[in-house]
Amino acid sequence: MSANVSKAGSADSLQSRMRPFRRTLPRYELVGLWGSRVFIWCVILVVLAPIWFVIEAAFNPSNAYFSLGLFPSHPSFANFTYLFQQTNFGVWVRNSAVVGLTVGIGQVAVTSLASFAFSRLRFWGRKYGLMVLIILQMFPNFLALAAIYTALAKLNLINQLWVYILILMGGSAFNIWLLKRFFDSIPRELDEAAFVDGATVWQRFTRIILPLSTPMLVVIFIFTLIGTFSEYVLAGTILETPNNYTLALGMYGFISGQFGQNWGYFAAGALLAALPLAVTFGLVQRFIASGLMGGVKG
Amino acid sequence: MAQLATTQAAQGVGKKVAVPHKPFVAYGFLAPAILSISVLSLAPMAYAIYIAFTNFSATHFLKYQWVGLANFIALFNPKDPLFSVFIPTLEWTFLFAIVATAVNYFVGLLLAVILSNRLMRESALYRSLLIIPWAVPGLISILAWQGLLNQNYGQINGFLHNFGIPAINWLGSPIWARISVLMVNLWAGFPFMMTASLGALQAVPSELYEAAAIDGASKFEQFRYITLPHIWQLSLPLLIPSFAYNFNNFNAVYLLTGGGPPRPTNMFVGYTDILASAAYKMTLTYNLYDWAAAISVVLFIVVAVLSWLNMRFTQSFKEDVV
Repeated sequence: MSANVSKAGSADSLQSRMRPFRRTLPRYELVGLWGSRVFIWCVILVVLAPIWFVIEAAFNPSNAYFSLGLFPSHPSFANFTYLFQQTNFGVWVRNSAVVGLTVGIGQVAVTSLASFAFSRLRFWGRKYGLMVLIILQMFPNFLALAAIYTALAKLNLINQLWVYILILMGGSAFNIWLLKRFFDSIPRELDEAAFVDGATVWQRFTRIILPLSTPMLVVIFIFTLIGTFSEYVLAGTILETPNNYTLALGMYGFISGQFGQNWGYFAAGALLAALPLAVTFGLVQRFIASGLMGGVKG
Repeated sequence: MAQLATTQAAQGVGKKVAVPHKPFVAYGFLAPAILSISVLSLAPMAYAIYIAFTNFSATHFLKYQWVGLANFIALFNPKDPLFSVFIPTLEWTFLFAIVATAVNYFVGLLLAVILSNRLMRESALYRSLLIIPWAVPGLISILAWQGLLNQNYGQINGFLHNFGIPAINWLGSPIWARISVLMVNLWAGFPFMMTASLGALQAVPSELYEAAAIDGASKFEQFRYITLPHIWQLSLPLLIPSFAYNFNNFNAVYLLTGGGPPRPTNMFVGYTDILASAAYKMTLTYNLYDWAAAISVVLFIVVAVLSWLNMRFTQSFKEDVV
């Protein structure tokens, strides 16, 4: 049929060119399109099924053993009320939120300062410094545990939430590199114009570079936030009492204890913890691809 | 050093840059990052490397001494007990990192190619749905998988039961435990590769396709000779870091299987233990700090060499002339 269109008179072919999507697609493209759709639907089902299982378990009050159906037979909020009334879940959420937000803001500050220096300023070590730092930071960080633990114990700083925050605040060379690539893609003419107008280095940083990089700063903030929610090793070493636990430690306790008994509580907690983060992630999603590929396009 | 910095910076200013810079300002900007990295990454690392050359462990806790290369020789000496811990773990670590990276990459790429079909106008919706696993904090999703894959109570076996499939010992049998680790890693890891590949696909200039179409290239030829080389060029810088990340992917293994099931031949490491989780167990469970440190140094050398090669060949660190 499409062959007919292209062979038809010039007026027809012009029309078909002006309305490309109305024209009947060639058969192989249609088959390909619907084949792809069915394939993608299957993939989405497989990917989201486990999430549905967790949601189902969260609302399933019987709370032991698996249910065979896809829906809980008597859905209720029993697991959620248990979480808040019988466990320290609320405290863990608060601790994790405090840690995540503080570390996120701190990381953005530390990273953007250093990235600005690597992108715009000249100093000894600029060329290879970042590369060396990235490679050095690939040393497995839990090996630092023994050293960090000994030092903190000597200073009597174990089991303090603010100490944990401070330790997570350490600069990440990879983030610096990611942000530097983004800074590099901002035209230098803007800086130079500002310089000609008498702007100081600090003003160029805060008035020009930072406002233009907001999307990337948000991406780094979100990555850091999600990262701290998943941080288990250091938290387990430093925080000792349940009222100082972060969500990671508390949730690990649920699942490593009596599994059959706690699965419903774990599922409810997982849902509450993951939902706000997943929504935030969804909101900044469109920045992420451009951020990851920023240096390539720039 | 400061002297050197000043003169070099001054020369740099004179030659290349229109905007003059004061090096001390640069160090001010760098100070928070450099200080925290030194205290929290570099100092403990130096300490760990030092430990690798001693016999510091629970049995020599207060009086430990310098033993030179003994720990490293033991790692590669078939007669030493450490050898039976190290070599099988090293093999599985490589296998895991290679398979995990390759599978994640190809699944991500396949999905990206399908989703970038211009005729599929709802593909943004599919992309948002497929990216969800990335949005869930890894710790929570891996722990949830541990529950879902439980042999007796887990919902995966419950679901398969509906189709008459008998319960699979997902986390308890050596081969299934390894498959589970790779599967969960794929579930959590493909959205990143998909997003990166989509970004790479969009970066291919559309003029190339138009030119190819004029020259009479088929859709497949366009894909083979335009899309693939471009994606390859753009995604190689992501592949090697991803390999290095999986080489070190402690959470993916430890939170899912705890390294188990145990090997009958030695008590220290299980079938799914990678070097990272082995070193962690050596430190915190068995207090064999010297072995753990030696394993970590080897781990670090592998990852560092790979990353360096990556930076060299992909030129992701090539400095643009200012």
